[in-house]
Amino acid sequence: MHLVYLVLILCFNLSRILALESREQFDEELTLRPLRDGKLGARFLFTTLLKGATPRRPEALLTMTIHYTLFPLALGQVLREYAVTELHLTLNAGNWNYGQWGYPDEPGVGTGAELWAWMGDGAPITIDERWQGLRNALAGLFCASLGSLDEQRTTSPSLTFQPEGSLPDWTTAHQLRHATLPSEHVCTENLTPFLKLLPCKSLSGIARLLNPHKLFDADWHGLGVHVRYREGAGVEVRLAFQAVFDPVRYSHDKRRDWSLHSVFDRSIDKACPVARSSKVRVGLPKDRYMISPDPSVIDDRFATYLVGAAGEALDVAMQWPEEPAFQYLLASGAEPLTDISVRRTLKGSSQSQAQMALVITNNLPVQVQASYLETMPWLLQFYLHTLRAYVDGVSRDDLVSIISYSPPVPHSRPTLLQAILTLPPNNTLQLTMDVTKTFLRYTEHPPDAQRGWDLPPAVIIPFSFGELLSQNHSMPAAAGPALETRPRRIYTPVMLVDLATPDFSMPYNVIIMSCTLIALIFGSVFNLLTRKFVVVLVDEPASKVSPIESATCG
Amino acid sequence: MRLSPNSLTGMVAAGLRTRITGLCSFAASRYWFNYRHMANALGMYRTVKRLGIPDSNIILMLADDAACNARNKFPGCVYANPGRHLDLYGDNIEVDYRGYEVTVENFLRVLTGRMDLSVPRSKRLLTDDRSNVFVYMTGHGGNEFLKFQDNEEISAFDIADAFAQMWQKKRYNEIFFMIDTCQANTMYSKFYSPNILATGSSEIHENSYSYENDNDIGVAVIDSYTHYILEFMENINKTSQTSMQDLFDSYNFDKIHSHPGVRTDLFHRPLHSALVTDFFGGVAQAEVLPPIPFSPRNTSESEHIVESGSMLDVGNHTDGGLSDLPLDGGLSQTPFLAALAGAKGDVLTRKLRAWGSSALVIALVGYVSVKRSSY
Repeated sequence: MHLVYLVLILCFNLSRILALESREQFDEELTLRPLRDGKLGARFLFTTLLKGATPRRPEALLTMTIHYTLFPLALGQVLREYAVTELHLTLNAGNWNYGQWGYPDEPGVGTGAELWAWMGDGAPITIDERWQGLRNALAGLFCASLGSLDEQRTTSPSLTFQPEGSLPDWTTAHQLRHATLPSEHVCTENLTPFLKLLPCKSLSGIARLLNPHKLFDADWHGLGVHVRYREGAGVEVRLAFQAVFDPVRYSHDKRRDWSLHSVFDRSIDKACPVARSSKVRVGLPKDRYMISPDPSVIDDRFATYLVGAAGEALDVAMQWPEEPAFQYLLASGAEPLTDISVRRTLKGSSQSQAQMALVITNNLPVQVQASYLETMPWLLQFYLHTLRAYVDGVSRDDLVSIISYSPPVPHSRPTLLQAILTLPPNNTLQLTMDVTKTFLRYTEHPPDAQRGWDLPPAVIIPFSFGELLSQNHSMPAAAGPALETRPRRIYTPVMLVDLATPDFSMPYNVIIMSCTLIALIFGSVFNLLTRKFVVVLVDEPASKVSPIESATCG
Repeated sequence: MRLSPNSLTGMVAAGLRTRITGLCSFAASRYWFNYRHMANALGMYRTVKRLGIPDSNIILMLADDAACNARNKFPGCVYANPGRHLDLYGDNIEVDYRGYEVTVENFLRVLTGRMDLSVPRSKRLLTDDRSNVFVYMTGHGGNEFLKFQDNEEISAFDIADAFAQMWQKKRYNEIFFMIDTCQANTMYSKFYSPNILATGSSEIHENSYSYENDNDIGVAVIDSYTHYILEFMENINKTSQTSMQDLFDSYNFDKIHSHPGVRTDLFHRPLHSALVTDFFGGVAQAEVLPPIPFSPRNTSESEHIVESGSMLDVGNHTDGGLSDLPLDGGLSQTPFLAALAGAKGDVLTRKLRAWGSSALVIALVGYVSVKRSSY
């Protein structure tokens, strides 16, 4: 009898495990692209799909127990707890050079930390409380200072950050929360929890190459966690690591030849056994090159390797045998890789007034419409009426239309400015606006106040192109297929603003000085008020006391 | 896990008891030239992790990012010695509080546990009255204060009050407090809560010095006091019986160039019986209890023994306190074990049943795998 039970339980468990395994699928892909300034762009992408799952309805109770085999449990718990439909977290270091590197494979390249989430309304707990919880939970999960993404940095720019997946059709609406922290560092302590979310950790598969000592030596690096709901498919988690390496710097003879071993100091020993697909794609340059070993599949843009197919360690190498040393392109001669180029600066040497300038160049022969987003902490306040637009030195204010503007509230709320810019073909639009720098309270300064404050990047999205586009202009090297059709975000570099900083020892001086003065004044006044002044008539015999005795008494 | 000699016979009724050790390792200084403070804290972090304390029990606070600092020639590495032999940052590290989050307020909140509800577990010191807590602090200090980030200070009174609050809230069993700053011994002079053992690197009006520079890194890599502590710790493993007295005896003015101090008046155990691994190691202490006799008459008595055993927990149980139990002939004397082993039923049937069921399991697994591969 017991035996029958045992068999039944075993059958049941086995079938459950099999069913669960097919419910989740894990794919990994490494894309390597030689860039035109001799660098090498790398993007690790780990996609886990939880088939048939839906995001938790905010009003529903947390009743269902969760069991995942491949899907990251630590992240899944956070998503369920705070009923997050879509989540994007990026932690980047360095400025993405759009001019030399083109569009990134992962669009979120703003310097520092950026977190945005779409959450459904209707829960007994408000969205803002859940947003706070989400921030803190992710801060604990990824060892980052995301807890400081408080209401002073949170906005809801729903035009610019449209959901990448689909939002479930619930009766209540979804809302966006977005915050950036440009001064955030990225280091091994962020990569460690990231690797722990992967089913094979960094033991096998392409994640084997995620060697912190090499990754954090890269010219640019960033990691991202993206969760979205795909209608009909399920909940998808994309864990991405993106980096730009400089093989010319690593090589002794200034060549741009690279191999997995020279860049990552490791090679892919074996495939991750639970991955449905595991690929290494290498972008092929236009000049003469050699690539080894022979790729599994090759087309005109990419050579693809299937990890684990050969049964031995995979170490892809690319060489330019006819090139003795790498010659850098002159910046002026290079044709732009992106549709538009953006530069943002803060001018003026005063500690209270400044001017912000935005220079946007349209590289296309057609008119482009782009949305422009500024989420500025209240440290810098805009004088919106001074916003001017110039093309070729001629004032063209008609090219800017402001969609929404919410002014900052000091000590509590940031500025949100969303505008639509019309960019004339092959021309440059210049925007200027006067800003004022706030005077902070003594306790609001950071420990390294003299360094200044990092201001978050502006985001530009070109969304409407003129008609010529379809005929002759080829789109620049594109991102992954899922993102190709989407309008692509362009982040400006972050800015550093120098606010008026006090001499921090001054308050102590003031306190000591005023205390001394108060003590002196109060003491003398108190003395004058309480002391009784009387004329003491000295008797004649008293004067005969010897001088020594009077000294001891007095 | 440390088990008493009679563990094998007693495992049936072993009352397993673990002791959690929490660590708060902590570098309060900012800027690149304070590299050595980061290295100090990371050295302690590495040591306790090597001795078995998991990341979830460690709160590590680093005021600046030395490993990925733009001035660091060796990205992702923090070295503890001039020859750069030992990378403290490694491949696996979790920093719980970093950068601007390292404030006096956050530090006191970690100690006292007064936090917002949504603060995750990894940022809390989850200890109870059975936990030994090791607190290590380093930075720039002076007479009864330690600077945080060049911006604010924590005073000896603040820490003393925080520990008192921890004692009232039953957040520790014993605390080992170690501090490496200038005039460090003044920092523990104000403690008044019980069961605290404290040590510091230098006396009042005395500086603590750095150990040595590395010319490629360009700054001093570690402080002298911490260097010799870590050197001592390198010889210790999880099963080590080295005591705190041995650690304090290893202090040497000629090497450290300052006078380290020890404060023991609040600590109620003799130092030679307080093991280093009581604070630095994740040593789960398993207490072996006698097998519970089977007869109902004895049940209440044996329960009483179990209870009194756990009441004794506050002390340090390294000796097999119950080793006087009979080792040989235990089976025949104990009715419970005898009942287990002595079910002398039909041996043949049992064997048959065992073989049959394993064959069935194998067949089933084979069937399923064949089914699966045919998909």
